[in-house]
Amino acid sequence: MKIYYTYDGSFDGLLTAIYEAYYRREKPEKILLEEDYQENLFLKRVHIHTDREKAKRVYDSIKSKISNESLKNIFYTYLSELEDLGTWVYQYLKLGWKIGKHIDLNLADDRVLVIHKIRLKIDREKHLMLGLIRFRRLQGNIYYAPIEPKFNIVGLVAPHFVDRLGEENWVIHDVKRGIGAVYNGEEWIIRDIDLEAELEYGNDEFIYQKLWQEYFKSIAIKNRINPKLQKRNMPMRYWRYLVEKNG
Amino acid sequence: MELLDKLKILADAAKYDVSCSSSGSTRKNKKGGLGNSHVSGICHSWSDDGRCISLLKILFTNYCIYDCAYCVNRASNDLPRAAFLPEEVMNLTINFYRRNYIEGLFLSSTIYKSPNYTMELLLETVRKLREEVNFNGYIHLKAIPGADKVLIERAGEYVDRMSVNIELPSTKGLQLLAPQKKREEIIKPMGIITSRITQNIVEKRKFKTAPRFVPAGQSTQLIVGATNDNDINILTLSEALYNQFNLKRVYYSAYVPVATHPNLPSISRPPLLREHRLYQADWLLRFYGFKAKELLSLSNPNFDEKLDPKCDWAIRNMDLFPVEINRAEYKMLLRVPGVGVKSAKRIIAARRFTPLDYDDLKKMGIVLKRARHFITCRGKYYGERRLNTDTIRNNIILNSNNNKKKGISDENQLSIFSLFPDILLPFEEKITKITGEL
Repeated sequence: MKIYYTYDGSFDGLLTAIYEAYYRREKPEKILLEEDYQENLFLKRVHIHTDREKAKRVYDSIKSKISNESLKNIFYTYLSELEDLGTWVYQYLKLGWKIGKHIDLNLADDRVLVIHKIRLKIDREKHLMLGLIRFRRLQGNIYYAPIEPKFNIVGLVAPHFVDRLGEENWVIHDVKRGIGAVYNGEEWIIRDIDLEAELEYGNDEFIYQKLWQEYFKSIAIKNRINPKLQKRNMPMRYWRYLVEKNG
Repeated sequence: MELLDKLKILADAAKYDVSCSSSGSTRKNKKGGLGNSHVSGICHSWSDDGRCISLLKILFTNYCIYDCAYCVNRASNDLPRAAFLPEEVMNLTINFYRRNYIEGLFLSSTIYKSPNYTMELLLETVRKLREEVNFNGYIHLKAIPGADKVLIERAGEYVDRMSVNIELPSTKGLQLLAPQKKREEIIKPMGIITSRITQNIVEKRKFKTAPRFVPAGQSTQLIVGATNDNDINILTLSEALYNQFNLKRVYYSAYVPVATHPNLPSISRPPLLREHRLYQADWLLRFYGFKAKELLSLSNPNFDEKLDPKCDWAIRNMDLFPVEINRAEYKMLLRVPGVGVKSAKRIIAARRFTPLDYDDLKKMGIVLKRARHFITCRGKYYGERRLNTDTIRNNIILNSNNNKKKGISDENQLSIFSLFPDILLPFEEKITKITGEL
């Protein structure tokens, strides 16, 4: 009978599942989130309880036996929140422990390719977000930016703003997931955010929004208007929180 | 005048400068400071014409003493004029920057009163940004032709990139459209910046703490289609600029008709496809190891609008193809139409593990639409059955989307053309290569 593993959705949970697959000498067909599993008489479901110790051993083993780059690859894949990510990561790591540090050069292999394709998508969205995040200055000198990225990348973009806006207090709020990166001028954390009160904007906020909107209009060359190109570079799903697109 | 009105006027006046990149600098934030730069640059938005917005691109002022026919800001043009104060530019920059609207500042200017007077204003603005508010984001500054060497060198210590726009590719064009300008004056600041950058590289080798000078290098812009220069002249000029002046980028700007003048061509639309072909060729020069004379010749002075320059070259050199994907060296892979730097590197990496066949390439995301005519995979050829250059050419053109766009054909007459001879002379100092910008 085929075995399906399920885990709680945490990164540690995923790594624990991979640990168990090895030490129980089972070959799970799939590794899924609890809620993605559908009951099926012909499958044996094994739920894996997250164990930080076991997760850490897998983590260290990837670092020493495969490479830092593949560790990054699977973490990024994890952030994609795609349904089959657990299975893909499992297959990829199995190959990794066989080949070792050169796994990522093996570009003709499907198990590697699928991970690389996801990694590329996440990298793209992360880079795009570095540009498209728009902070609003609130009362009390807090810079607040709402976002709704496709993937769970708020933790990937935060360090960039720690370097850049190190003297400010800021919040990058993933509205869709209800989480955010919060920075207080010294350190940042990811936490749940539940906005109840209306935001109160700083005094000069609307002046600068207006200036930016007008700048945005003025900089386009009328003889070259090209909405298709604009949308290709900046997909419309990101427009909702862009100051210049909501003037 | 309200700040809002100034911004409208001076952004509007700056928009024909196409340079947009914010890459090539690794400036770090300082303690208590604001901003840093990202080595590959970041685009923050895309305007309605589809071009990226990375920097706050403005003129300091659009009052101008010159009257160049092709320029929207020429003295005789009747349009609203404005000038910023250094503090205003500073405040706009840091407030936009904190909100993550921009990656930094691109400050240019027309010539107000005199070149030195203008350069001093620009210098004061960037000095304020760096010293008074500790701004460490990206700054791209125009060097004003005719300004004092000392001013240009001082400004270079504050900024990441400097540029001087050549605009008109030939001396003849310059005489025709901008008779007040001298080509020597345009070239001079470029030389000053290049030699200071070179000197700085040597200094940095000796003292790690030596202040950086224009770390993201120098760029320039050429207008395409305002004069009757043909592509080979423009591309040869670019090649010389890359080789002798070590420029990081040459930008091409399709001429947008902003004036009527007997010396200007009358065109209805900017020659965008021609601009695109020049950019493609420019990339071939910088990253693919091509020479201008391989791509164009005197008997073939302009790019084919239907076919990209690399494809065109490959079809003219069909005797070199097809190449075996599992054996060809990197340099040759780069010359296969449809294969770029990334694809070539991926092929090299993957074939160490397993011989690649056609489907492997497909899976790896290599674009085979054009490439299939020029390669074999494990000895098998996947292109047209008969290796006939005409068939291949037609096949590619028919399959390309570009042929839907109608090309804009300008009647280009061969003219007695003089490139800037100054820059074709060997540059005296040996210039070490700065890391390339991808």
